[in-house]
Amino acid sequence: MIKLPQINFGKLSLLLAILVWLSLLFVDLVRLFGILNDIDSGIAIEFTWILEILFFLMVYVFYSNYISQNSKNEFLNLIWRVASTGLFAVVVSLLIFLFYGSLGESRLAQEPFLRNLFYHINFALTSIFLISSALLWKHLILYQKSKRVVKQWQAYEVAMLGAMFFIFFNQNTLDYSFLFGLVLLIGLGLVLSGNLKWIPYLTFKEKWKSLLFLFIILISCGFLFIQIQGYTNKTVYPVNLTDNLFLISLFGFIFSYALFSFLVTLFNLPTSSVFEQKLTEAISFQRLSQSIKPEENEDQVLDILMDSCMSASYADAAWLEMAREDLSIDFQLERFIDAKTRGELIALIKESKISIGKPDEKLSKNVNIQELRIDHPRFESALIIPLLINKIPIGRMILIKEVKDGFNNEMINIISTFVSQACISVENHRLLNQAILNERYQEELKIAQRVQKALLPTKLDHNDSFNISAYSNAADEVGGDYYDTFKLDEDRFVLIIGDVSGKGTSAAFHMAQMKGIFQSLIQLNLSPTDFLIKANSALSKCLGRNHFITVSIFLINTERKTFCHARAGHVPTLHFNSSASKSEYLEIDGLGLGILRNKLYENHVEEKTFNYQTGDTLVLYTDGVIEAKNHQGKQFGFERLRSLLEIYNEHNSKEIQTNLIDSLHHFVGGDGKIDDDYSMMVVKFN
Amino acid sequence: MLNIKGLQENGYHILILEGEVDASNSVLLDESIQKLIADGSEAILIDGKRLEYISSAGLGVFMSYLEDFQEKNIDFRIFGLSEKVLEVFKILGLHQLMAIFPDKQTALSS
Repeated sequence: MIKLPQINFGKLSLLLAILVWLSLLFVDLVRLFGILNDIDSGIAIEFTWILEILFFLMVYVFYSNYISQNSKNEFLNLIWRVASTGLFAVVVSLLIFLFYGSLGESRLAQEPFLRNLFYHINFALTSIFLISSALLWKHLILYQKSKRVVKQWQAYEVAMLGAMFFIFFNQNTLDYSFLFGLVLLIGLGLVLSGNLKWIPYLTFKEKWKSLLFLFIILISCGFLFIQIQGYTNKTVYPVNLTDNLFLISLFGFIFSYALFSFLVTLFNLPTSSVFEQKLTEAISFQRLSQSIKPEENEDQVLDILMDSCMSASYADAAWLEMAREDLSIDFQLERFIDAKTRGELIALIKESKISIGKPDEKLSKNVNIQELRIDHPRFESALIIPLLINKIPIGRMILIKEVKDGFNNEMINIISTFVSQACISVENHRLLNQAILNERYQEELKIAQRVQKALLPTKLDHNDSFNISAYSNAADEVGGDYYDTFKLDEDRFVLIIGDVSGKGTSAAFHMAQMKGIFQSLIQLNLSPTDFLIKANSALSKCLGRNHFITVSIFLINTERKTFCHARAGHVPTLHFNSSASKSEYLEIDGLGLGILRNKLYENHVEEKTFNYQTGDTLVLYTDGVIEAKNHQGKQFGFERLRSLLEIYNEHNSKEIQTNLIDSLHHFVGGDGKIDDDYSMMVVKFN
Repeated sequence: MLNIKGLQENGYHILILEGEVDASNSVLLDESIQKLIADGSEAILIDGKRLEYISSAGLGVFMSYLEDFQEKNIDFRIFGLSEKVLEVFKILGLHQLMAIFPDKQTALSS
């Protein structure tokens, strides 16, 4: 196809149509002038016919262009456009009629040129009405088109095109071939008129409007047809433009389609509400399935569910019960019902359940939708719909109607679909909330982790006589291991390491308490024994019944080169004796803090003072180190730690600690996780 | 993994512990002992022959009932602990407060 850019087909065809019409008028008037004056105008009748066909085609091009540009028009708009065109044509011809009526028997009334002018105007308007209507009908017929309908329409268009040229064959006489063509085309038109799929999509109000418009179209069509049949006087109108197969069969098509539409719309009126109902249900369903957005909450989903179900079942009243976490029932939503009536109805529902009652069906009863007859002054039937998430009831909805057996299977089906969709939404919503909550807990734990890390000293007190290093790791975000130091004076330092029973958050709280107790008691310049006695008595009032804390405490005196040690149930401290080149565990009795919560504890505390020399090392640790297991389930154990210190004793405290912890990790295995808190503090005397 | 089996023998309630007691299952042990106390048991024997490991949380359970046993005059004894498990009791000092015996015979005869 040749591309013709920048050409507006609409305007061009309009212009051409007007020009063709004017030349048609001119040609016919010239011919009329010739006939009246007995002069052969020399213009063949075929010339008129060609112009007429050209006019039809231009109007067709103009309107198909016009409609395709306004294709978004709604049905009602389209019908109104057809009706208004028809109305306009009718009004114009009525005006002409009135004009002649007012002229009476005057000379002007007999003027053949004027009559022919009006005839041409009428012809043009009628053709425009018919062609534009046909194109609009096309739009309606091809709504929700199938291949078959498209084929039919194309066949019809081709046939109509043929009908335009039929006049050359038939020479404008009414014979059998004309009748045959007419019957064929009207038959095709009737077949096409069966395509009325657009009608159900009109709302009730729109249907009334379209009935009115269709009525106008029918009247216009009829009026114009009858009027055209009036132009048969051969002497006044030498050229008959309107006894044309194309126009007559178009009349038939326009009229039959308008009539069919009118009747179908009329008979569709009573069922219109059902269709609208189905449409609402579809929309409700869509809303329910979309209501998973985080900003919407569960109540909104239930709200939509309630409204959808009520409108689907035409229920008179309804309420919704949701089970809360504490198993109490909460009346989430209610519609057209008060608490008193609801109470009465609940009692009635309970009763009727007992009357049906088969005890072994208790479970299934909660799961299936149940329809009940109820004996209430106002209400007659009830539908009980359980709301289930993963087959676990989360609540129920009760729909109430004033009529007996008010719920049919269709309603129950659609309601159960609504309910299952809503339950999915609610479940999704809850899962989402849970995920958000979990994330918040994770955040809180991270904060706790930071707070707890701050409880362990970043700087360990010491002087030039020893160097010190510490390490701690928790199995969970927070743990129960504790170590600390305190400088009593230039030569005296206190070291403590502790382990709270259990692990995780509870242990972390007790660990914080231990820190408080240590930091306050140690300032009193207590001996290790006194410290443990006082700490035990303080913790007795703080710790849970089955919790205890084990600690090891050291008071180092660098002037005397001694350390005084007491142990409260803690794993024994490892000591490397440099003169003997041997490491061994310090043996001393003791009882964990919080185990014996009375004066008797004093009998179980012991302290010992040891001398140390340059090169001696102390390794304080928690039981997580000893109890760490490898893949074979073997514990790291006391002996392994002891012999490792003999290997690494030459290093400074930091290096010893790193080596010991690395060995521990190596023992557990690369991906092995130590399922307990573990800490270590290493002191190396210079 | 922890398996607790309860037996009754000559007026003794025996709890046979099998496996490991840690923070996750110490509740089971707690419940078993609590039930025996609630049932009015006067003598409880813990059979630790097949106890492979006990964590501080497990020790906490025994510890928490020490006062109850004393108050209610319940004879509470543990026997058959492996060396490793006994060591854990000893480090914490619990052996000073509880009656721990090498085997069932010595536990019953003394």
